[in-house]
Amino acid sequence: MKTSTKFLYTFVTVSLSGLLLSSFFNGPQLTIRNFSFPYKQAGLTERQAAAHLLNRFTYGATPGQIDEVVNMGLEKWFEKQLNANMPDDSLNQALSQYDALKLSNEEIASQYPRGGVIARMAIKDGVINKDSINNVLDKKEYRQKLAAYMQQKGYKPEQELFRQFLNQKILRAAYTKNQLQEVMTDFWFNHFNVSITKNQCAEFIPAYERDVIRPNVLGKFDKMLLATAKSPAMLLYLDLNSSVGVNSKATQRGNKAVMNIAIQNEMMMDPTSKKAQLAKKFQQAKKAQGLNENYAREVMELHTLGVDGGYTQADVTQAARVLTGWMVYPMNDGYGDAYKKLADNAGDKLARGGFVHEGDFLFNANRHDEGEKTVLGKQFSANGGYQEGIDLLEMLAHHPSTAKFITNKLAVRFVSDAPPQSLLNKMAQSFTQHDGEIKQVLITMVSSPEFWSAQAIREKTKSPFELAISSVRSLNASIKQPYQLYLWITKMGQKMYFYQAPTGFPDRAQYWINTGALLNRMNFGLALATQRIPGISFDLAALNNHHEPESAQAALATYGKLIIPERNLKETVKLLTPMLNDPQLVNKIDAAAGKTTVPAELGLPQADDMMMNDNTKAKKGKNAGLKKVNADFAMVSLKGNNSMLSQVVGVIIGSPEYQRR
Amino acid sequence: MTSRRGFLKSGGLALFGISLAGGIPGFLAEAAASDKILAPYKKKKTMVCIFQRGAMDGLMAITPFTDEALKAARPTLFMSAAKGSSNNPLIDLDGRFGMHPSMKAFEPLFRDKRLAIVHGIGSPNNTRSHFDAQDYMESGTPFNKGTASGWLNRAVGLLGHDTTTPFQAVSLTSAMPRSFYGDNPSVSISNLQDFAIQMRGNPMGANMAAKSFEDLYGQTSSGLLKETGKESFDAVKMLQKTDTKNYKPANNAVYPNTSVGNSLKQIAQLIKMDVGLEVAFTESGGWDTHFNQGTENGIFARNVEDLSKCIVAFWTDLGQYQDDVTLMTMTEFGRTVHQNGTGGTDHGRASCNFILGNDVNGGIVHGDMRSLVTENLEDGRDLAVTTDFRSVFSEVADKHLKLNNDKVLFPDWTGNKIGVMRG
Repeated sequence: MKTSTKFLYTFVTVSLSGLLLSSFFNGPQLTIRNFSFPYKQAGLTERQAAAHLLNRFTYGATPGQIDEVVNMGLEKWFEKQLNANMPDDSLNQALSQYDALKLSNEEIASQYPRGGVIARMAIKDGVINKDSINNVLDKKEYRQKLAAYMQQKGYKPEQELFRQFLNQKILRAAYTKNQLQEVMTDFWFNHFNVSITKNQCAEFIPAYERDVIRPNVLGKFDKMLLATAKSPAMLLYLDLNSSVGVNSKATQRGNKAVMNIAIQNEMMMDPTSKKAQLAKKFQQAKKAQGLNENYAREVMELHTLGVDGGYTQADVTQAARVLTGWMVYPMNDGYGDAYKKLADNAGDKLARGGFVHEGDFLFNANRHDEGEKTVLGKQFSANGGYQEGIDLLEMLAHHPSTAKFITNKLAVRFVSDAPPQSLLNKMAQSFTQHDGEIKQVLITMVSSPEFWSAQAIREKTKSPFELAISSVRSLNASIKQPYQLYLWITKMGQKMYFYQAPTGFPDRAQYWINTGALLNRMNFGLALATQRIPGISFDLAALNNHHEPESAQAALATYGKLIIPERNLKETVKLLTPMLNDPQLVNKIDAAAGKTTVPAELGLPQADDMMMNDNTKAKKGKNAGLKKVNADFAMVSLKGNNSMLSQVVGVIIGSPEYQRR
Repeated sequence: MTSRRGFLKSGGLALFGISLAGGIPGFLAEAAASDKILAPYKKKKTMVCIFQRGAMDGLMAITPFTDEALKAARPTLFMSAAKGSSNNPLIDLDGRFGMHPSMKAFEPLFRDKRLAIVHGIGSPNNTRSHFDAQDYMESGTPFNKGTASGWLNRAVGLLGHDTTTPFQAVSLTSAMPRSFYGDNPSVSISNLQDFAIQMRGNPMGANMAAKSFEDLYGQTSSGLLKETGKESFDAVKMLQKTDTKNYKPANNAVYPNTSVGNSLKQIAQLIKMDVGLEVAFTESGGWDTHFNQGTENGIFARNVEDLSKCIVAFWTDLGQYQDDVTLMTMTEFGRTVHQNGTGGTDHGRASCNFILGNDVNGGIVHGDMRSLVTENLEDGRDLAVTTDFRSVFSEVADKHLKLNNDKVLFPDWTGNKIGVMRG
């Protein structure tokens, strides 16, 4: 008895302190590993299973990664990915060149003002004449003046912010060791989509992904839902920021001001008087004010319950009333300065008035509808303030429809476009049982036989982003100009962060595969493999440890296996072999390839100027090195050339097999 | 189909001069001798839509020039139709409305009753945000942001026959427009010449790669990839029938060398190639004229000149295909009746749009625009929306493409059509 108590005591202390320690460093850890993957029952070898895991939870296997996973053990590997705390020193080093990545929303608003805002400020400061803005003759002068003004004020173009953000995204996806976290970041960003196409929210998107999405992707669903609801990007994207309660103090005050007969008379008598001007402002403000249902609708339809989740239009309206007053805390962005001072100086008064200020978020009690509401049968009594919004979102996060909707979406992402109901049931149950903890739902999913079934293996089609990133990972490529990959990804049909609708990109093969997009995928493979994408380089010989393939056919088989490991490539090899066996053709191709030099540009718009400048030296050095490697390889490789091999690799990347994961 | 493969195998690699092995699909090759292309790639009715992003000032494009309230509201922007009032007065259309002089290319089409105008058109949702208003107009559901599909994609779904061609719905834009979002097959491409397997400076390599790709996609176990792969290569071959790069417009049509001009030119090429194009889309920018929009000269004048000249060039180029094509413009909202303090106009409500075609009830300014006195204005400042955009869009789709299922096309809408189309 004594021993067992003591044992228990030690056990609890040890695991508790372990827990405390680890959570001190990296957030809560997964402490138990009581799961195992039933892939053998599905007839898969350990290597095949590792390939499947890597296909689903990373942006593609790097050369040799299957061995790593097998040596570590599949479950152990998965656990490490779920904990998402592996150091990323070299990635962070690469990202340190981007100075905007660490800025807060407030800093971004003041350093990267929107184009229109800058023009207005320049007019206000008398630097440019408002009449010159659209006068073509003055355009050059206008631009110069504006550029000088921006430099003097320390303002940078918003485009630069997005460029850094996109470059970061590509480097992170390609190189982070915490691949699952990055894949999940993509999943949840898309689930809680916001879009650069909407100006008002665009500048807040980098911090949205960094602070709201990424840290929460494997945690509890309700936490992420709340974080998105309070973020500037979402508040502005779905207009909650401008929703004002009809039964709110703000509306009543506005009404009073407008109704004031004395003021109305004054407006008639002397429309230029200060009072009249003020009243006019109130009138205008009032016009812009009112209930906006956008967020309330989408939070139910797209973020939680799903379109068939059992809510009505009345629920939408009532929920919109519950959430009135949720807005972005004023910022120093050239517009909000005065409001910000007012709010900053209000101090305790805010809290006493029922206001809530948390970082970028403000609950403005004056805009809140103070009446009674009912949503999905739950009553919210009058004067519920900020807390009733929280209660509403918690209710939605824990609704049974939400468990179904979210787990279905996860299964579509990670299993197949049409996941089996038996799996969906298990996952929804797990979601509810673990209070919406995403890690646990993923464990349930991967521990289910359905995940490993023949109906799931290679059933997902890569998105353009997944295709591009997996290609550079397959080739162990170095990325000096990530923006070039972004341009190709756009060309293949996925303009990252520009998907306009709150639904996010559809996660279905049909959406990605159409004629124009498919041809661009093939062209991408060829351009990448023949090293015609500026700033993306790799060493094909090194991939095979500088071993010379014995024949054309051997080269095909070898490189096929390296790029698409653990896949049956018999058919692919068979179809491509004749191409390599026609010496005349091969020679002609080589001659043609030898004549052309790598173009600096691929006829794509917007070269990555910033990156080009950064890397001119590095690029030259790298190219010189490459040539040497290629020359060496040329002597030892198939039929004395490498261009044919590049072409084979390009065809493999553009092949149907490589589009699947 | 065997003939197609046979053709490739035997003669494909001989065609080295062009960017892809192979020629045209076998059945097309047979048909190529005759002038008519056989089904399934046969001539179809085509609806062409142009989105004017930024919100066009409908009151300046088509001005109710007898309206004193407008004259008062726009001291420096108001233009007159009176001869001698300026070098370039408005083109008097019907004694009430005047067309901007820079759109004079449109006048013959209007007089000919092929061009109709709807004034006071807009969305029932009074948002004045470009983003929201475009989103609503393109999804076709003005109060629901979550609508996953765009109205033109739903239109494709209603065409009532299987997709037999990769070019059934084409957007000449670099990214898929919101109007095209959805499950029905559609393509967005900024340049038709991208429809080729390309290796810069190495056409022979490209030929070989193309052949490899075609073989691989022809054999894959994924139905979707196999089908789309076949369509892609058919598309490439269809485009190779004509020299898209050195296209010569018919009837001496001259397209302005602008983004709209180049897009419409490529749409005309597709139409004239009989590749089965039914829904086409492109866009035009620069309409957000807050500052110095100008009158007979200036940004606005240049924009309408470009738009009208491009459309007229397109129409001229179509020649005998005119009967099969109807073109419609759209813009997310109009601009304030009053000019602002910087010689421009701010975000308003209703605007106007243009519909061109031989089945259009043309030569008329449709709609129900009232006088612009303050009490008639929406929120006391804007031209009121008196025609729901869905009423016009659905009528054009119905009359031209025989799409009469408004429940699918515009789910929340139950309104009447206003007779912009004939019959």
